[in-house]
Amino acid sequence: MELEIKREKIVLRAGTQKFEWHIEPRYWRNPFIYIGILLLATVLVYFFSPQTLPTLVDANLLAAIAIPLGWMTVGTGRMNFGPQFYIGAGGYAAALCSIHLGWPPAVTLLVTLVVGLMFGLLMSPLSIIAGGLYYTLLTLLFPLVFLEITFIYTDIFKGDTGLSGISPFLSGGSYTTNQLMICLLSLFIMLLYMFIVDKIMRSKFSASLAAINDDEEVAEAMGVNVKKIKVISFAIPAMMIAVIGWFYAHYYTTFSGISYLPLTFMLKVLMVSMIGGRVQIYGNVVGGYFIAFLELFLISVVGDMATVLFPVILLVLLLSLPEGLFGLYRKRRYREYLPTLHVRR
Amino acid sequence: MPEILRVNGVSKHFGGLMAVNDVSFTINAGETLGLMGPNGAGKTTLVNLITGKYIADSGDIQFMGHDITKMAPYKRCKLGISRTYQIPRPFPELTALMSVAVSALYGKDRVNQGLEDAATEATHYLEFCGLFSKRNVLGKDLTLYELRGLELARALATTPKVIFVDEVMAGLNPGEAMKAVRLLERAKEEFGVTILWIEHVMAALMKAAQRVVVLHYGKKIAEGPPQDIANDPYVIECYLGSCHA
Ligand SMILES: Nc1ncnc2c1ncn2[C@@H]1O[C@H](COP(=O)(O)OP(=O)(O)OP(=O)(O)O)[C@@H](O)[C@H]1O
Ligand SMILES: [Mg+2]
Repeated sequence: MELEIKREKIVLRAGTQKFEWHIEPRYWRNPFIYIGILLLATVLVYFFSPQTLPTLVDANLLAAIAIPLGWMTVGTGRMNFGPQFYIGAGGYAAALCSIHLGWPPAVTLLVTLVVGLMFGLLMSPLSIIAGGLYYTLLTLLFPLVFLEITFIYTDIFKGDTGLSGISPFLSGGSYTTNQLMICLLSLFIMLLYMFIVDKIMRSKFSASLAAINDDEEVAEAMGVNVKKIKVISFAIPAMMIAVIGWFYAHYYTTFSGISYLPLTFMLKVLMVSMIGGRVQIYGNVVGGYFIAFLELFLISVVGDMATVLFPVILLVLLLSLPEGLFGLYRKRRYREYLPTLHVRR
Repeated sequence: MPEILRVNGVSKHFGGLMAVNDVSFTINAGETLGLMGPNGAGKTTLVNLITGKYIADSGDIQFMGHDITKMAPYKRCKLGISRTYQIPRPFPELTALMSVAVSALYGKDRVNQGLEDAATEATHYLEFCGLFSKRNVLGKDLTLYELRGLELARALATTPKVIFVDEVMAGLNPGEAMKAVRLLERAKEEFGVTILWIEHVMAALMKAAQRVVVLHYGKKIAEGPPQDIANDPYVIECYLGSCHA
């Protein structure tokens, strides 16, 4: 293990492997601007319309689900239609530990990470065995089966009503200030996920992900250990998504599978991905905010009909925007899984 | 010439069809071995068995002292076996440069190689195959001739010992086909690879190959220097379609 800090990059050598991390301040401007806008928006909302803060939290969390899901989609070459399974697993793990053992959020987070990773690893062989429609159906089915289980073992999961009495992130203090802090935490998680996945999509690991996404068989013939990469790309995003369940549990202090496990929730996540463009990390942020505010708007206008309208909107999006809203904006460029190499002239 | 690959009585069936039936042959280091046979003779299936897409029902395959009969495809690649596809299979959403970089990165366990090192290496193979100017074109936007070049570049980038070339001339016009054949010859000179070359067109193999193996209905029906094969009455009969193996 050897760390070398050069002018424009950090090079980490471990054994026979080399990892490069480019630090190029000339590329820092845009990320800083975007983060600045998001922070500013949060603070403005806090001052002028604090009752909208929960919508921002929703937006951040939706994006934070869609971002690792994008990694999972590319790395396994398949679309997982049941990410909410991990939200359920993470949420219930956190809730049960908090209620029965009285553990604070920081500790339940560790439990959630372990549980999420465990379920991810357990289910990752699915991406090797099943493909196409079977994979879609199976991943769609798991959250629903989980939901059934929460009803069968009502004494543990408290079925319909859900678990309550989970310790909140912050107790005491003013309500709106707490809301702001929680909103910032959700923003932090989202940005952290974006940072992690972005780094991965720019590393040499991404070459194998992109190859698997395009043609598994050829990738394997060219020396890519497809199974290993699929397991990694399944289990770690699953763990990241489970953390969102942890967040929901401590945020609402109640957790019931019925809010997250049914298809309606998945539909929202799917729409975030659709609007963002299938594997556009930055697009997911646009998608998350768009969907969260669209939901707010629809509920205020049509009430319960919103749940009916969502699938219709999804259908329209599918037909009209195959590359997503964000994709429209960068339509004239190739979908870059990998950075084009910038040559200094 | 030392033997590099040995195929021992390998068979593979799909349902009731014996696609490859008890085939044995060897490849020597540095040679070009031709593999011929009419449509559906089992040539591609044989390559799939050696490169690991399918596992043989019986028989075994030895590569440089390793038994690779049941080895995972990526491990075979790392040992030095590479291939091209009869119908080119590019990575549709990757640029030519990145497709080749994938091979350069993963074809062998290399010491201290980053993505950029791999990309630099990939340009070398692209340049060799005459595709440097197409480096930023997506796989799905390349022409058939360019795809053949890309397939070869990708195979070479894994720094293989043996390349299995599944038809380079099919679908190309005579001028392009000539260039493709020359490219293969140059690859052999420059990188010192051994080639197993599948081709329908006998004439091409006559010039390039030192030995030729002929398959028919999954069985090996002849093996030897190209001239002998060309004059073998049984082989000629099979190509005309009147023999029953
Ligand atoms: N995956 C498969 N499932 C079922 N049958 C198969 C499969 N792959 C090949 N076959 C059959 O095995 C036989 C041999 O096919 P193969 O592709 O090896 O022939 P080939 O010699 O490469 O022919 P060509 O010259 O047309 O490329 C054919 O009859 C084909 O239909
Ligand atoms: Mg064939």
